[in-house]
Amino acid sequence: MNLAFDALLEAALILTPLVAVLVALPLAAALLIGLRLLAGVQGDASEGMTAALARGSAFAALLLAGLLAVGACADNATASLRLGTWLAAGDFAVAFSFATDARSLLFAALIAFVAWATLIFSAKYLHREAGFHRFFFAMCLFLAGMLLIVLAGNAVLAFVGWELCGIASWLLIGFSDERPVATGNALFVFLANRIGDAGFLMAIGLAYWWVGSVEWGMMGGEQPLEAVKARMLALGFVIAALAKSAQLPFTPWIARALEGPTPSSSVFYGALMVHAGVFLLLRIEPLLLQVPDMLAGIAIAGLATAVYGWLCGRVQSDVKSALAYATVTQVGLMFLACGLGWFTLVACYAALHALWRGYQFLMAPSYLLLAPRPAPLPPALTGNVTLYTAVLQGFWLDRLARGLLLRPTLSLGADIRQFDDRVVDRALGMPDESAPARTLVGSGFFGRLLVRISESLQLLEDRLVLESGGGGMARVLRRVGDAARVLEALLEEPRYLMLMVMATFVVIL
Amino acid sequence: MLLTALIAAPALTALLCLVLQRLARPLATAGALLTLLLAGATLLQFDPALGDFQLVVRRPWIPGIGVDWYLGVDGLSLLFLPATAFLFLMALLAAPRDLSPSARHFCAALLLLEAATLGIFCALDTLLFFVFWELTLLPLYFLIGLWGMPGSGLNGRVAATRYFLVMLVGGVPLLFAFLVLGFDAGLQFDLPSLLAANPARETQILVLLLFVVGFGVKVPLVPLHTWLTSLALGGPALITAVVVGLKLGAYGFLRFAIPLAPQAAQELHWLLAGLGTLAVLYGAVAATAQSNLRGVIAYGSVSHVGLALLGLASFSVAGVQAVVLLLLGFAFATGGSFLLLDGLKRRVGSTDLSALSGIRQRMPRLAGFFLLFGLAGMGMPGTIGFPAEFLIVVSALQAHSGAALAALFGMVVAAGAFLGPYRSAFFGPLRAGPVAEADDLTRREFAVAVLLTVPVLLFGLWPQAVFDIVRAAAEVWVARLS
Repeated sequence: MNLAFDALLEAALILTPLVAVLVALPLAAALLIGLRLLAGVQGDASEGMTAALARGSAFAALLLAGLLAVGACADNATASLRLGTWLAAGDFAVAFSFATDARSLLFAALIAFVAWATLIFSAKYLHREAGFHRFFFAMCLFLAGMLLIVLAGNAVLAFVGWELCGIASWLLIGFSDERPVATGNALFVFLANRIGDAGFLMAIGLAYWWVGSVEWGMMGGEQPLEAVKARMLALGFVIAALAKSAQLPFTPWIARALEGPTPSSSVFYGALMVHAGVFLLLRIEPLLLQVPDMLAGIAIAGLATAVYGWLCGRVQSDVKSALAYATVTQVGLMFLACGLGWFTLVACYAALHALWRGYQFLMAPSYLLLAPRPAPLPPALTGNVTLYTAVLQGFWLDRLARGLLLRPTLSLGADIRQFDDRVVDRALGMPDESAPARTLVGSGFFGRLLVRISESLQLLEDRLVLESGGGGMARVLRRVGDAARVLEALLEEPRYLMLMVMATFVVIL
Repeated sequence: MLLTALIAAPALTALLCLVLQRLARPLATAGALLTLLLAGATLLQFDPALGDFQLVVRRPWIPGIGVDWYLGVDGLSLLFLPATAFLFLMALLAAPRDLSPSARHFCAALLLLEAATLGIFCALDTLLFFVFWELTLLPLYFLIGLWGMPGSGLNGRVAATRYFLVMLVGGVPLLFAFLVLGFDAGLQFDLPSLLAANPARETQILVLLLFVVGFGVKVPLVPLHTWLTSLALGGPALITAVVVGLKLGAYGFLRFAIPLAPQAAQELHWLLAGLGTLAVLYGAVAATAQSNLRGVIAYGSVSHVGLALLGLASFSVAGVQAVVLLLLGFAFATGGSFLLLDGLKRRVGSTDLSALSGIRQRMPRLAGFFLLFGLAGMGMPGTIGFPAEFLIVVSALQAHSGAALAALFGMVVAAGAFLGPYRSAFFGPLRAGPVAEADDLTRREFAVAVLLTVPVLLFGLWPQAVFDIVRAAAEVWVARLS
């Protein structure tokens, strides 16, 4: 018995480089399913193959992750593994490095297990659904991304996984794409996450310049960074974590993310993806410990999210939303614990929560039968009308995001279009074939300029010189005043205010 | 000799097309294929370990003023040759069956354009470069004017006239800059001697500003960009694919503007980075307000060249390598998007967002490829856009932190600016009308899309292939600046 175990351990240690295969398995499955999609597979008969590919890759990943995890638990010597260089440009290099410590591999096994179970469930759940193959394609993409997040040895590979999850989530929320609501929500969720991605990218860039490496092991490693630099670096990662884990102020996206098929909601917003932010915090633990104020910020955000999620969860009228808010609450508590420095506890907490919540989400349709009546609202809520309204509206965060980010950007776009049409086009000139015949015709800025000069000389003679003192100048002054007032009104619009603030920032930096 | 053959192949085929009118179409395809093979041969002959110009051909051309037929490539320009040849071949393959008013003239003009474009990438004599630069206008004028969108509004003729005039005006500062440099260096116009010459600071600043205007028109930089929209909306999408896909203006900055005025470029780095950032944000935000899919892609490309300029302004090896990858990537991705939109336009009659809904249900393959090319534009990992955009941001973060942060914000907006219109055109309910009756990609279009997908994914996963070729030349480029 003991001998067999030793042999197993030995095999696991030798097989460690296969960690790359672990990530590649679901990716290969996604590729195959994608090719089948391109070939135009349809009908009942083809479903089995697609499901088997996805399930098989998840199961193989599970076995491999389990085996490697056993090895890593027994012998924690090789915490990371470098298999080569992915890209090297200038002095910048990104290695094919993987984290092979026990925690990462155990998480990988957990992810593969949850995904495998969900894929088995989905094959039945989505039977004869129009987008059957599309669903499994996105799920395989997601599984690969998620495995890459936990197994990546450096921030860049983790970011690759991060984005794969993001695009898979976009595909699955908009799964029933004939419904505009579903695709609209998919877009909203993607963009909210994209803000986090920008933070992630910023952090990677800063890590390269300040730490000199993007390997997780080096992050905040040998010599401590200056406080300001460490804070900026941590801030980028924390923004990414907050966005991916739907913590405040990003929480509203999760309520919109539930349009997808239930099994995908289960793995994305119940079991796995929502914990990616927590995992990122676990990864940068040494860095976070250098900046106590950032830890305090994480704790506050987590606590606030937990309260927010609890309150909003009370008033949800459908089971998936209630579960999503419950998830957010628990993840908020994990952030709180991270902020308090209990990282190991958080790791166990996240793993257990992932399992339980994944199961609960899959059960969601059955809860409608099992629990015929929702729990009554707490009297503290129903008594206070203001609070009740605020909770029902999700504290208007959603609307705030639209009002402060989305709408200004869109109206700025419209303004720019007007600007292009009215100002730039006119200045550059546009050959207009329907122009009325005039004695003086000028096209483009210079042509027009000449015409204008000659015309205004004429005007000057006509008006100012002839009507001197008779209101010519006064009229001009009044017009200038009007223009100034319009300009002022425009500047008061939030979008231009924002633009000016941003421009100032850019110039200062 | 290889480079001369590379330029001659499409030019001669163009002449043959004019003569043998019945065979014009297959002849043109064969010619484009031959050009692609020759471009592949340059790739094999090239030694990426050297940072110098290679495969050099030099013959006296106008000895009186010292202008030579002087061709050569280095790591910065080499990869554009196969990319150009490939994109032109794809455009020819994707061209509609009916090329009225005249198929042979279309083929001839397209091949002439290819020859001139290849010449731009090979020319080592500034005046020869200028000749090729202006030579592209002639076939383009006819291609846009005759095969553009008929009808009212932004039609082909307006787009053609506008493009021609704007580019002609943009050529003046270029020529002036080359002449200033040439006279300053003692009547020498070849690039290596101009690079070796070290003009006075004031001359450099003048030349750089002239280049910024001249190449800025072609890039296009804000506010000189409106020809691009009218071209994208009024011109034939096939031609747009080639014109927008191959970012000649950005190449001009890389090859001429910055290396020929190194001191000025370093002093005015804020101008380059600022123009780049402005284009990134302006393009992304303006794309959100477009009502036509082709407008969306056009403004997206404004955003991308802005990013390229920002990457160049970081004056780092990684930045330059990433810019080359970015430009190559957009040749495939943007070119592919426009080719697909051409197919869509032929099926549905319009690429206007108000007329489109539910395309995915009817044409899943077209929708899938268009999404992939769009994701490449957004810099999604796995596609060629990711390593390029990522490295540009990383390089820019050190050189211009504020601009890089603004560019990151622009990338968020750009994602929305692509996925928003994608959602409204490709998703949504399938209504009765042209979309509901259209068919998915034909076998030939499908092959073109697959062929374009290969480099998009391949270099996304294996960008090192490109970086290795560019590296030596990029190091020389950066060394010249300091």
